[in-house]
Amino acid sequence: MEEWAERFRERLIEKPSWDQRACTMEPLRDVMVTPTEVIVTVDLPYAEENTIQVKPISKDTVEILAKLKRKVRFDDFGITQYKGEFHTFRCETRIPVPVYMEKMEIRFRKGILEIHLPRKHEYEIPIE
Amino acid sequence: MSEETKIIERKDVPHGAVMLFGFPDVGLVGVIAASHIISELNLTEVAYMDSRLLPPLIVLHEGLPHSPIRIFGNHDTLLAVSETAISAEAIYPIMHTLIDWGRDKNVKLMISMSGIPVQDRQDVKELKVFAAASSPEILKMVHDKGIEILREGYMVGPQATMMQYCATTGVPAITLLGQCFFNYPDPEAAAEVLKELANIIGIKVDISKLLEKGEEIRLKARDVMRRTQQELSKMKKTREYDIPLYVS
Repeated sequence: MEEWAERFRERLIEKPSWDQRACTMEPLRDVMVTPTEVIVTVDLPYAEENTIQVKPISKDTVEILAKLKRKVRFDDFGITQYKGEFHTFRCETRIPVPVYMEKMEIRFRKGILEIHLPRKHEYEIPIE
Repeated sequence: MSEETKIIERKDVPHGAVMLFGFPDVGLVGVIAASHIISELNLTEVAYMDSRLLPPLIVLHEGLPHSPIRIFGNHDTLLAVSETAISAEAIYPIMHTLIDWGRDKNVKLMISMSGIPVQDRQDVKELKVFAAASSPEILKMVHDKGIEILREGYMVGPQATMMQYCATTGVPAITLLGQCFFNYPDPEAAAEVLKELANIIGIKVDISKLLEKGEEIRLKARDVMRRTQQELSKMKKTREYDIPLYVS
């Protein structure tokens, strides 16, 4: 289990948080499972609210896109060894339990995107 | 000071100063607050940490190498800050070395700036700052300043080690914990901690600039936050949510 967690972490973390070719940056995000819903939060500083898109791309994955209010360059962080500019936040997030994608609700507050997905309770084990 | 972890002084270090700590933790509250203090008070680097317990990493500024853990200061303030997340195994020796060094400089008070996660943070209008202290006298002083005391619970991370070691060695110490996001950089929480820091030691920093740069800081701090999340998970930071069982 620990090995799996380490592999998952490496896949998630051991890569740049930006994609030069696609001009995208990966936002920080978090997934919380409650008894009734899955709540995904995404930190989107500088995001233009009316450009935010949340698209289900499979039964358990959503893609999140948001345009930045202004283009961000490596130069802005004092970095000169890389070239490139970014205009969009983009990430894909896996939803760990079955949900009703079509009943998704989203809200954006203080630069934080919240995605609420009601849970599907497909199996019930009767208690005898 | 052990052989594997030592502090190298670059300039004369004042005696009898207040020593502040800003280390990567939830919301990066301490690091953001520390960075703002350095810039507002024009603090200069007076010392740095050399440790085999740190990852093989340097921070380049203007092409020159720097240790990720440095101590900045002026005539009456010292500030230890880390630009990298510290692993759970390295926290004890690193904090003990810093505190021993501070004791050697007759530091009169140590204050750790950090965060305490709050659920649905984006809906919280007024962020609270809690405090814990190394002795009943310091706790009373903090309480008299109107700061809410963190009465019961667990504390995990550099500030936990600092409080314990300061209590053991008799160094007056305070930890300020601003309500914040767990996983996202939180400049607003850092601003609230700085307000209470001013309340305690009278340090004057303009927090309006910090709030103005909030979005920029959140954007820049993403990678440090990601690395910090990784270390927080390893040190079981979520234990802070646990309800303690006191045996009396």
